[in-house]
Amino acid sequence: MKELSLNILDIAMNSVKAEADTVKITLTETDESFEISISDNGCGMKEDFLKTVTDPFSTTRTTRKVGMGIPFLKLAAEQTGGSFSVKSKHKSEYPDSHGTVTQAVFNKNSIDFTPLGDIVSTVTTLIQGSPGIRWIFVHTCPKGEVNLDTDELKAVLGDVPLDNTEVIIWIKGYLEEAYAEMV
Amino acid sequence: MTVNELIEKCGFNAVSLPEPEREINGCYIGDLLSWVMGRAEADNVWITIMSNINIIAVATLADVCCIILAEGVTVDDEIVKLAGEKGVNILLSDKKTYETAVAVYEAI
Repeated sequence: MKELSLNILDIAMNSVKAEADTVKITLTETDESFEISISDNGCGMKEDFLKTVTDPFSTTRTTRKVGMGIPFLKLAAEQTGGSFSVKSKHKSEYPDSHGTVTQAVFNKNSIDFTPLGDIVSTVTTLIQGSPGIRWIFVHTCPKGEVNLDTDELKAVLGDVPLDNTEVIIWIKGYLEEAYAEMV
Repeated sequence: MTVNELIEKCGFNAVSLPEPEREINGCYIGDLLSWVMGRAEADNVWITIMSNINIIAVATLADVCCIILAEGVTVDDEIVKLAGEKGVNILLSDKKTYETAVAVYEAI
């Protein structure tokens, strides 16, 4: 993928499919490294399936033989000399603490580092598509931090749903402004 | 033109050839796998320099007739084995990507 924000969208959709009610996307940046962490409290994966997720021929989809979201993110990270991991606890074994954490670390100074791209659109698309989920987004840079927690928004909005067009436009504007201030 | 005939004409080194009689219908060149997945057409020759395991999945999904690894790129035995199991032809070319593409163009 040409932008990491598309990889993030792809991985976060796995959390949606796993019926998570909270998904946290954390981006942690230093001068040298860029770390993506996507954690959820969805149904999780059993150990034998977890072992195969980085294999491009494994997937939960029935429409095609291969699922490429995780293999592509792993490749993108390893191409920069970074690292990748997926940790998961399935609800059958961990009824109170199930979920999945996908983590990718990139070396920002590698020529093969893919730019983050339009992360604001990724976040707003996820919120609009699954307004029932609590989305927590934190992007920490040496220059500052961008933060969004849909539970905090809900507390202010009351009965107005998160996928209301005006709310989505507001969220987009809020994130864009936060990024503009960080530069 | 089949993959077998292409090998004969251009002298590519076939490291995996489970389907030698596949017909060739054009060529696609690209290294960004997600991009190739959406754009390479069925029965295309796919020229790339990427040699990790994901190329086998992309070749399967796009249903290309063979992968040509250009620029002298080599491929691990385990990937060759998987290609055989999944019915993916892999050829090696010492030429640069452009020259490899020209050779394919002239052959087909």
